[in-house]
Amino acid sequence: MAHSDQDEGSTRNDLLQRVALMETMMAEGRRTTTRYGWLFLMWGLLYFVGMGWTLLLPMPNLAWPVCISVGIALVVVRSWQKREGASQTVRSRSVEAVWEGMGIAAVLFTVGGVLGGHGGQPIFIAAILFMVGMAHGISALILRWGMQGVAAGVWWVCGVGACFATTSQEIVGLFLTASLFGMVLFGLYAMVLERRHSAAPVQHHA
Amino acid sequence: MPELPELDPVIHGKLRLAVLSLLIGVEKADFAWLKEKTGSTDGNLGAQMLKLEEAGYVAMEKRFAGRKPQTLYRMTPSGRKAMAAYVAALKTLLGGAL
Repeated sequence: MAHSDQDEGSTRNDLLQRVALMETMMAEGRRTTTRYGWLFLMWGLLYFVGMGWTLLLPMPNLAWPVCISVGIALVVVRSWQKREGASQTVRSRSVEAVWEGMGIAAVLFTVGGVLGGHGGQPIFIAAILFMVGMAHGISALILRWGMQGVAAGVWWVCGVGACFATTSQEIVGLFLTASLFGMVLFGLYAMVLERRHSAAPVQHHA
Repeated sequence: MPELPELDPVIHGKLRLAVLSLLIGVEKADFAWLKEKTGSTDGNLGAQMLKLEEAGYVAMEKRFAGRKPQTLYRMTPSGRKAMAAYVAALKTLLGGAL
C-alpha cells in the first residue's frame, strides 16, 4: 500500500474510500495478535509429564516442582522476547491477567498444600481442577468463546468427580482427562484457529 | 445553505487515518505492528507518526522488549476527540452514505 501525504482527496469517492479504510483498519486493530494456543498445549503436556514422572519414574517428589518450573521458565522467556509487531488490547490484557492470577494461586496452593501434607487428597486435586476451570470460564466470558466454555466445563466436571473419588487411580484419571480435553486438545484447536486467522489476507487500500 | 464542515487535514491523510483507526482499537501498539498492518515503509510511517505526535493525537514511548528496542504508540484523548470530530464531519459531508 503506497500511502501518500499529498493524497488529500475530498471527492465523494475519496471520502467513501476513507470510510472503508477506517472500517478495515479498526477491524484489524481489534484482531488479537497474541497467540495462546501453544500455552495450553505446553501446560497440558507438562501435566502429563508430571503425572507420568510421579507414577513411573524415580524421585517423584521432584516431578511437579521441575515441571512447573520448566513451564514458568518457558512462559517468562517467551514473554521476555515478546515479538515485533505487538499490540495490546484491553481484552488480551484481561485474559492474561486471569491466567496469571490463576497460575500464582495454583502454585501457592500446590506448594502450601504439599508442604502442609494435603497434596494427595481428592479435595486438594478437586480445588486445582476448579481453579483451572474458573480461569477457562472467565476467559470464555471475556472472549465470548464457546469452545473455551466447553474446556471450562470439562475441568469443572472433573473437579466435581474428584470430590467423590475414593482411589488415587480415579483422581489421576480425572486429572489426566481434564488435561487432555481441557488443555492439550483445546490448545491444538486454538493453534489451528490462530494459524487460519494469520493466513487470512489483510486488505490494503491503495 | 449550511456551511460544510472541514476535514482535519492531519487526520485526512490516508496513512495517518489508517494508523489512527488501528490505534482506536488497541491500548498501545508498536511501530513494527503498525508498519505491518498498514503496509508502509519505515521512513513514510516514521514521518507520519511524527506529524500525529506534533498534533498531539498520539503519544510515543520507547522501551526494550528483551534486548530489542521497541517504540510504542497510543492514542491520546485529544486524538480520540479529533477522530470523533473527523467522523462527524465525514457523516455530514456524505449525508446518508454512512
